[in-house]
Amino acid sequence: MEPRSRSFHRNSEKALANPALQSAISRTTGKFLGQRADAIAEFPGFEAARDEGSRIKGEALDHLDRHLARFIAEAEKRGAVVHVARDDAEAREIAAGIATREGIALAVKSKSMAAEEVDLNTALEGAGVEVVESDLGEFIIQLAGEPPSHIIAPAVHKTREEVSRLFQEKLGEPYTDQIPELVRIARRRLREKFLSAGMGISGANFLCADTGSVVLVTNEGNGRMGTILPRVHLVVAGIEKVIPALSDLPVFLRLLPRSATGQVISTYVSVLTGVKRPEDAEGPEKLHILLVDNGRTGILQGKYREILKCIRCGACLNICPVYQSVGGHAYGWVYPGPMGSVLTPLQTGLSQGAPLANASTLCGACADVCPVKIPLPDMLLELRGDEREQGLKAPAELLGVKAYAAVMRRAGILEALERIAGVLSQLFFKEGKVPWLPFKLSGWTDRRDFPAPSPQPFRKLWKKQRGIRPWNR
Amino acid sequence: MEPVNPKDRLIRRVAAALRGHKGPVPAAPPASLPVPAGGANRVARFQELFEAQGGDFLSASALEPLLLALGEALRLSGVATLLFPNDDPAARQVAEALVPFGPFTLASPSELRQPSGRPVAGIQSAEYAVAETGSLVQTSRGGKTLLPGLLADVHVALLSPAAFVDRMDECLAALSDDPPRNISFITGPSRTADIEQTLTIGAHGPRKVIAVVFP
Repeated sequence: MEPRSRSFHRNSEKALANPALQSAISRTTGKFLGQRADAIAEFPGFEAARDEGSRIKGEALDHLDRHLARFIAEAEKRGAVVHVARDDAEAREIAAGIATREGIALAVKSKSMAAEEVDLNTALEGAGVEVVESDLGEFIIQLAGEPPSHIIAPAVHKTREEVSRLFQEKLGEPYTDQIPELVRIARRRLREKFLSAGMGISGANFLCADTGSVVLVTNEGNGRMGTILPRVHLVVAGIEKVIPALSDLPVFLRLLPRSATGQVISTYVSVLTGVKRPEDAEGPEKLHILLVDNGRTGILQGKYREILKCIRCGACLNICPVYQSVGGHAYGWVYPGPMGSVLTPLQTGLSQGAPLANASTLCGACADVCPVKIPLPDMLLELRGDEREQGLKAPAELLGVKAYAAVMRRAGILEALERIAGVLSQLFFKEGKVPWLPFKLSGWTDRRDFPAPSPQPFRKLWKKQRGIRPWNR
Repeated sequence: MEPVNPKDRLIRRVAAALRGHKGPVPAAPPASLPVPAGGANRVARFQELFEAQGGDFLSASALEPLLLALGEALRLSGVATLLFPNDDPAARQVAEALVPFGPFTLASPSELRQPSGRPVAGIQSAEYAVAETGSLVQTSRGGKTLLPGLLADVHVALLSPAAFVDRMDECLAALSDDPPRNISFITGPSRTADIEQTLTIGAHGPRKVIAVVFP
């Protein structure tokens, strides 16, 4: 997928001006957050599970060479063919080659963020394959020709009326504003595809090194359909999905659904190991596993290794005040929210992704909810440092921050400036609000009033309200 | 020498990347994780969680009332045909015993590949029931079919009291030496909330899942 993260600010403006999108985002994030909180309140072991999940992922990454080699060997022992793609172009080439060699005309795909990363559909369509997205949300946005806006709920930005009009226009179905009816339409349409497709495509939530197993977590059941019915199964997954053992899986199954949707477990968890055996009633005769690097070894090398622990639950998206305001599309690439703001600059380059690292208040909520304890705010800050070191910061911003630092280090100057601002605000802003600021600063006042500076300096207020000097406490 | 195989090249590349930077020192693994387990209340815990995800649960101390309740539930769902795998004697026994409660006709799971439009129920013995999550576990072990829990409109999973385990770990441990091609944890009917975050049952898989515990 072509990154558009550099236009984050422009993308955000559009999102903020779209009231339907605003209500869709707040409905989704609010619901996920509430359900998550309930699920965790009922599970006293959650904190311990977080520690353990983080530890296992850390161990998996620190010895990823060994675990990957084991995964490849075990999967191939059980009949899988493992492919490796260094970047997105190579992944497309390999996938198109597989489809051509297997003679595939129709493929059903369940959600894979890695496939989204490498723009798999384009490659397969180029090879003459009809690719049908089978996750309902993905099916909808595929019909609309849009990218996903949430990693768990890709069509959060669409209303039922929009979905119905889409089904009317693209599928020739009668208009309905009933959601169950819309789901029935999609079910019927997709069932035909599942039964006739030559290939099922999926991502992987986890890859187990000791057994060569691919683990899929879904609610709709599309992941199961596409990995049991078609003759060929193609898995597209990032190399960081490997965990050491099948016995490590339960910890992650306790973390992922609770963090994502607040479910104790998702409706379906499939552990898929190898190809159809001679005695098996059904299942794929061919299993291709495409492992995608696409910048991951580079991330492994440096101080951002821990971001590869991410299990793609979406909790950091839902809790993030920035995501809550602008939604997923504004981030301009595959991964939005705090995890996306770390991954995008690392995978697509800092000159492309740096606006995302800066689009955070560093409030720390993402680190609080992360099921594998990735220090997301630290990484966002670190990326800003890298941006500075690589000379990518605008001179005006550097000057501004330098001036800020110079003032904040000198209490007397700060107090003098505060007094001046206080007097000016008394003169110009009657109701204690600043309704307008010029130039770049207008971002602070376009959608709300900025509180006017107090007539009294901060330290004086502090003394009065606390009665003591803070340094004497 | 640079290895020619792209897989070996990847492993080399990863190994080189790991040498460049030591990750944070990992903590020691905990002695045990506090996981809500069923213990004596295993079946009750399973029922609670399975029902919370929209599953139906039936159990009785005698066979007759159980069949009556199951037949009633299937009739109310508009089911006309019962499918059971040929190699599943318990499922066959239940399906045959259910016929008079219908009327139901009997068929084999392969017919699911040609959808008829009329609701069908797939009856099959499940291997495990996990109390921790309220999940049924069906696998392809020994060549078992997965179609009844996949394509049928109503999935009837038969459970013996011995099928119940406390945690996911126990059934994975039993399967991990030589994992079957497919291990499926199933917790309630297929669902989606992809349109307006509204929970809707029956996205792709069964619209109704009935767990039946036989005496």
